[in-house]
Amino acid sequence: MSVVTRKLIAKELYVNRWFIVGGCVSGVVSVLIAATGKMGFNVGALTWLTTIIATGVMLGLYGIMNERKEHTLQFVLSLPLSIADYVRAKMLGLTACFLVVWLVSSGAALLLVFAKDTVADGIAPYTVLLCVFMLANFTVVLCGSLHAQSEALTSAVIVVTNMGVSIFMFTVAPLPGIEKYLSGPAPVWSSTFWTVLGCELAVLIIAFTLPFFLAARRRDFL
Amino acid sequence: MNDKHIDMRNVRKIYRFFTLDDVSLALEPGQIMGFVGPNGAGKSTTLRLLMGMNSPDAGQIRVLGHEIPEAQAVAKRDIGFVSAEMRLLPHTTLGWHMEFMKSIYPEWDGGYAATLVKRFNLRPEQNARSLSLGEHVKATLLLALARRPRLLILDEPTTGLDPVARHEVISELMDVLRDESRSILFSSHNTVDVERISDTITFIDRGRIVDSDNKEDFLERWRRIQLQLPDGVELPALPNIVKREVDGQFVTLTTNQFSAGLRSLIGPHVTHVHRMSLEEIFVANVMHHREARAQ
Amino acid sequence: MYSGINISQTDARPMYLQIMEQIRARVAARDWPPGKELPSIRALAAGLNVSVITVKRAYLDLETEGVIVTRHGKGSFVAEVNGLAGELREEQLAEHLQQAAELGRQLGLTEEQLAERLRRAQRQTGRKE
Repeated sequence: MSVVTRKLIAKELYVNRWFIVGGCVSGVVSVLIAATGKMGFNVGALTWLTTIIATGVMLGLYGIMNERKEHTLQFVLSLPLSIADYVRAKMLGLTACFLVVWLVSSGAALLLVFAKDTVADGIAPYTVLLCVFMLANFTVVLCGSLHAQSEALTSAVIVVTNMGVSIFMFTVAPLPGIEKYLSGPAPVWSSTFWTVLGCELAVLIIAFTLPFFLAARRRDFL
Repeated sequence: MNDKHIDMRNVRKIYRFFTLDDVSLALEPGQIMGFVGPNGAGKSTTLRLLMGMNSPDAGQIRVLGHEIPEAQAVAKRDIGFVSAEMRLLPHTTLGWHMEFMKSIYPEWDGGYAATLVKRFNLRPEQNARSLSLGEHVKATLLLALARRPRLLILDEPTTGLDPVARHEVISELMDVLRDESRSILFSSHNTVDVERISDTITFIDRGRIVDSDNKEDFLERWRRIQLQLPDGVELPALPNIVKREVDGQFVTLTTNQFSAGLRSLIGPHVTHVHRMSLEEIFVANVMHHREARAQ
Repeated sequence: MYSGINISQTDARPMYLQIMEQIRARVAARDWPPGKELPSIRALAAGLNVSVITVKRAYLDLETEGVIVTRHGKGSFVAEVNGLAGELREEQLAEHLQQAAELGRQLGLTEEQLAERLRRAQRQTGRKE
């Protein structure tokens, strides 16, 4: 990795530092709220989801679209790098930003599941699926932003992926291999679980690697 | 061995509503070229092609000997690019940008950067968002100049600058040329500045290069000749007359190839021969080419 | 920098002529004595915020006039008074006087009238400096 790419990844983390801090705090606070009882759990879960979605959107939209709009893209492209270098730095940098928030929030959520007695451990597999889904969601948003040429298209990508969250929750939760273990006392890593996880990881990997082959080859970036 | 700093040949770039066609440009080390054209003529497009930000549909581009856009990462190590549209990164200060550049470019001259901060009336603690247009231009110029790059490509570098700031910027640019191994290509609407500091000038209009020559030759070739023709007197056929304006007895001829020969061809009824400012040459040149193309 | 040498944007005369005139004036006034090294073309260009090509042209024309001498690789110097400079000046004067005589004849001036014109011109030049 060239010096410039490394510096740009560091720059991404620095420029988005307030989103990262805010996201982590919000994620942890949501989990704490979720720990306060049944009502708290619902509220906490909602704010937890919102935190991760919002962080993803801000990074995906702001991190890429705004750079183009605010003409800071020209500044970055005037550095000694190729378009492929830029795409790489963007992917890695923004993913790093999101990962911080995601790791903290997911970790806190799983901690709640296992540490708190009032939250059934059986919900752990579903929680894991939800967390990985959010990560896959983010990579799709990032991939879309890097390829979309217009703000409208990028916004559409974001809207669709966020709708996906609801769809996920409504379709995965009732799945036979998942539903019956949700309120159980111990996590059951059923075959359904592994299948869903496999799909999520496949989407994640495709969305993450696609820009390195497509967007990086673009000959016109402005 | 071709050691031109910029060697752009027959470049073509097609957009939906605009085409850059058959654009060729050459910049030698030690030179400063003024790139002049109306809005929408294709100046920014040309400069972005030189920086590899867009790729040509035809033609070749070599900057500092490197193929563009293929080897742009290497080329840009030694190119400073400033555009009036450029903005600094959000949520950061000018000081942060200076540190950032220092970490990427080993040739960064911190002392010179500090001098420029004072000279350009900037403060390192300033947040990118709080900078005005003129301050953004000065800031990005500072970040480019302090690296002492061999080639500077500047898109309207005096935009939004008050006369004092403009003078400071121009002085810094002229200082760059004390070193004959460095060169500058800058686009500008400010024909006064272009006329003063350019070694060569290239005119562009509607995606095509209209004319390119060294500055002194331009200023020597173009003249406005005023005559008063008595009734019944006709002028002979004259070559290189770009424009002819007739108001009764009074005739004004504009020529782009003035010479003693032409002068004597015109005959005895000349009242004045005026040199033309670069601005006048520019307008006359562009108008002439638009008429020629329309035919 | 080169305070004192000033290129005016509002002066209608070309920049290279303004530079030449100011250098000639300094040479004539002995501020720049014979043998003094002139600033390098690039240094003067940067100092005046004027293009290199303009300064180059001024130096070239000054050399043709015999005001300065350029030694390749060493720089430009104010010319010695007795030398090529003087000869060129003599040639120029002879040419100009010939032209003046011819024009005077065309206008129908007598020798005395032409001489008076010359005196008037000399007075004007004296006043300018």
